[in-house]
Amino acid sequence: MLQPLITLLLFFLGASDPQFEDWEGMEEVEYSSSFMQLLASNDLIFVVLGVSLLIWFTLLFFIVRLDRKVSQLERQNRDQNS
Amino acid sequence: MQVSAQQKIKLSPWKYAVAVWLTVVISAGFLIDIPMIPILLETSRNLFLHVPMWFTMIAIFFAGLVYSIRYLSNGRLDMDIHAETATAVGIVFGICGLLTGAMWARFTWGSWWTFAEPKLNLSAMAMMIYVAYFVLRSAFDDPEKRAKVAAVYNIFAASTIPFLLFIIPRQLPSLHPGADGNPAFSDLTAPELRWIFYPAVIGFIGLGWWMKDILYRYKKLQQKLETESV
Repeated sequence: MLQPLITLLLFFLGASDPQFEDWEGMEEVEYSSSFMQLLASNDLIFVVLGVSLLIWFTLLFFIVRLDRKVSQLERQNRDQNS
Repeated sequence: MQVSAQQKIKLSPWKYAVAVWLTVVISAGFLIDIPMIPILLETSRNLFLHVPMWFTMIAIFFAGLVYSIRYLSNGRLDMDIHAETATAVGIVFGICGLLTGAMWARFTWGSWWTFAEPKLNLSAMAMMIYVAYFVLRSAFDDPEKRAKVAAVYNIFAASTIPFLLFIIPRQLPSLHPGADGNPAFSDLTAPELRWIFYPAVIGFIGLGWWMKDILYRYKKLQQKLETESV
């Protein structure tokens, strides 16, 4: 009764799949695109930069939108009172 | 309700400048070559992120102090809202300073927090003094009374900052650079780090000011709507 469930769970965890068992991570892969090669250079510091910039741009996008929304409310309030 | 002709809302130009400035500074902080200092290794780059949190907190608390003094001298409730929002943003940056410091300490000093380190304890104490500012505010219903007591308390709170963050820690042995009466920049901190550090301080103060600006306008609008509905 439980066996199929466990098998399914193991499958999703990737534990029983031989493809995952001998997975050794990425090592010195040659990328065809020079951009990807740049990202993979210098001990992967560019990947950290990329992640940081993604977070920063997301926060920036959020704060710009928030600012606009407050401006919009201020304008509505001004128009109502005039 | 009608929105007037849906004109495009533009932010003040300085906000775009802050966005671009900080983007450049953060990128440069990752990209420049830094000297490999033993123990610190690549974490020297945290100097561009962790330390500006404290500088921003201090700058914005100082602005809050100025607004509190102005409130006491002219009695305009606007000044109280300015002081309140500045202090709120200052606390956010202070919390970031504590958290990033703990993370950094774990991997260089070997502990998330150490009570042997005066700067950690005193900065946590400074944060608590400022949290009490909001506890105090919440105790008053009358805006005039709240503003007056909060302004007086804020002057006290701000006056503890130089002692808690600069004077006392420098008299005591500390793991932080700047202990034992030394300037924070010593031979341990390479000069090229300053070229990113100071612009980062400016950038984060700009970001903090932007956050304060939004919070102020929100509070101002809220106050306006409340007085209209009465």
